[in-house]
Amino acid sequence: MPPHRNVASSSYRTRWKELVGISKHQIYISHSHNPFLNLSIEHYLLQKSSPDSTVLFLYRNAPCIVIGRNQNPWLEVNFEEVQRLRRLEVAPGDTAAASALASERWKDISLVRRRSGGGAVVHDLDNVNFSVICPPKDFTRDKHSEIVTQAIRELNPRARVNARHDIVLDQGDLLAKQNWPDPKDMHRSMFEPEGPNGPPLKVSGSAYKLTRQRALHHGTCLLTCRELPRISQLLHSPARPFIQARGVESVRSPVGNISNDLTAGTSVRQTFERELIKAFVIAHGIKNEAYSNFGSTHWTSESEELVTRYVGEELYRIQEIREGESELRSKKWLYGQTPQFILSSHPTEEDSTARPRWRWPEGLPPSARVYLKAKSGTIISTRISISRYDQVAQVEADRIDRNLKDRNIHDVRDFLPLLTIGYDAPELSQSSPGSRRGIPSPGKYKKSWGMMSHTASWLNTMLGKPGQPWRTGYGHSNYLR
Amino acid sequence: MAAVASLRVPLVASIRAQSLNSCACPHARLAAQLQSRLPRSLPPRAGVRSFRTSATLQEKRYTNDHEWIELSEDGKTGKIGISHYAAKALGDVVYVELPAVDLEVSAGDSIGAVESVKSASDIMTPISGKIIEANDILAEKPATINKEPESGGWIAKIEVADPAEAEELMDAKKYEEFTAE
Repeated sequence: MPPHRNVASSSYRTRWKELVGISKHQIYISHSHNPFLNLSIEHYLLQKSSPDSTVLFLYRNAPCIVIGRNQNPWLEVNFEEVQRLRRLEVAPGDTAAASALASERWKDISLVRRRSGGGAVVHDLDNVNFSVICPPKDFTRDKHSEIVTQAIRELNPRARVNARHDIVLDQGDLLAKQNWPDPKDMHRSMFEPEGPNGPPLKVSGSAYKLTRQRALHHGTCLLTCRELPRISQLLHSPARPFIQARGVESVRSPVGNISNDLTAGTSVRQTFERELIKAFVIAHGIKNEAYSNFGSTHWTSESEELVTRYVGEELYRIQEIREGESELRSKKWLYGQTPQFILSSHPTEEDSTARPRWRWPEGLPPSARVYLKAKSGTIISTRISISRYDQVAQVEADRIDRNLKDRNIHDVRDFLPLLTIGYDAPELSQSSPGSRRGIPSPGKYKKSWGMMSHTASWLNTMLGKPGQPWRTGYGHSNYLR
Repeated sequence: MAAVASLRVPLVASIRAQSLNSCACPHARLAAQLQSRLPRSLPPRAGVRSFRTSATLQEKRYTNDHEWIELSEDGKTGKIGISHYAAKALGDVVYVELPAVDLEVSAGDSIGAVESVKSASDIMTPISGKIIEANDILAEKPATINKEPESGGWIAKIEVADPAEAEELMDAKKYEEFTAE
């Protein structure tokens, strides 16, 4: 038995931390389904693994939406849908059993912002994530997409790497034999790209993070996801036509599953993991026991040449991983990292594209205007008014701006109180046209109040949060507290 | 191009031309050639004026991580950016995370990040000090970093803690050799 075994038994964690820093090849599979923990372990490996090592890390996450480092959650995520899932509401058309099962798995759906670039994706347990960390000199965006494609081809020969470094399944007919590409060519498959079912379907998307010493390439692999339509639903934000944002917008692609046998989730996953480890081991010249022992109790290895092992919740005991996990969970990272954006109900100088009228709530007069600018998740300026009279609109806008300015969007539970605080202040009553002796008639008052409530409800929809239901019954006693 | 290498040429022209020449990018080389011709075609007065403003700059220095720093003449402040080589390697930049003003950093610390082709890449400061200004142009037009990484696409200005740190970095010629490897 090599001498380090003794050290490992005396302090298992210390030994692992040490091995991460020295071992040349490392392969890990996470038992945890916590997206924050898995991303935190990944980040730890990125920062602490030996500079010339190559690391493969496989993990699955419980249902979550993962947005890229420089994305805007309000632009990418359909929070209405997230809240519906969280409230365990059953989607129309679902059979009772299926929906009960689905809701049970999706009710804890979380929103995650990763540290790498790229666009928004949805994970669930039928999606396997891979992550490869290597020295920058070995890094190209295609290299590991090609290795993953090799593994996917063991399950589906239609797979290939496309121009965006993603992996897609060609949908067309089998090519004539003389036109088959070299089997080693991962950029062309034996099939026509397009078929009667449409264009190639994306099954794996990639993102990257490059630091001073290391390059990280991670990606998703949709194996047997039973809820593909839900992915698209969750990523359709109602606010998209109204937001103009700096940062990175997602590129939409139709998605598919690598395997057609959706009931064989576990065996498909095990095959895929084994094939991926095999392709990785061959590509990096690693001892083949890393692959041949996979699935048996002999798989675990802890040497300076090769570390292979399962990881999970026990890594919470490592301070950096624990702190990284809470940082990823924090609102400061999740929302505060949002690049500057403008939400506007109408075309503006900065963003002159037309707004779809049907998105604008009924009951609001055409004179209503909402303009809100936010930086790092904090509101920096607003102009919100409903009156068609410039002077009144100005008073309304000033008052609301005082209430909203410097607030974090993610801390606003409901916009209604913020729009109506000080609403019956004398400044407004006196200047309200059509009123006699400066006091608005009750009828008018009630009507404008309703309009404010519509405006607030629209803002609540546009700038939703995953946490609390936005469709609350508005009652005076509730919101003026 | 022999005149460019001579030290008698006004400082800024020589620095720019050198640094641009050092890049493998054909556009940059073309730009360098154009730039090196510019001062000669200008009337003498304009030449004098450009000499005065450029004289406040010291020679640009480069790091292994493809960042550059250009110190002011008194060595108290410096401008930080990424090299032509790095900008080309990154691909189309779609977002730049700029550092906060007053951020205290030591050499090698991350002062921001750029995103290009689904990659988030850290930008490190070549030198220790305090950030005094970030280039707001990059917030609105991130592509500036691809177009002119070593001039208009600078990332931050820093109050330098120890100007001697810059002397350990590569000059344009050494950096050119480094990137040619």
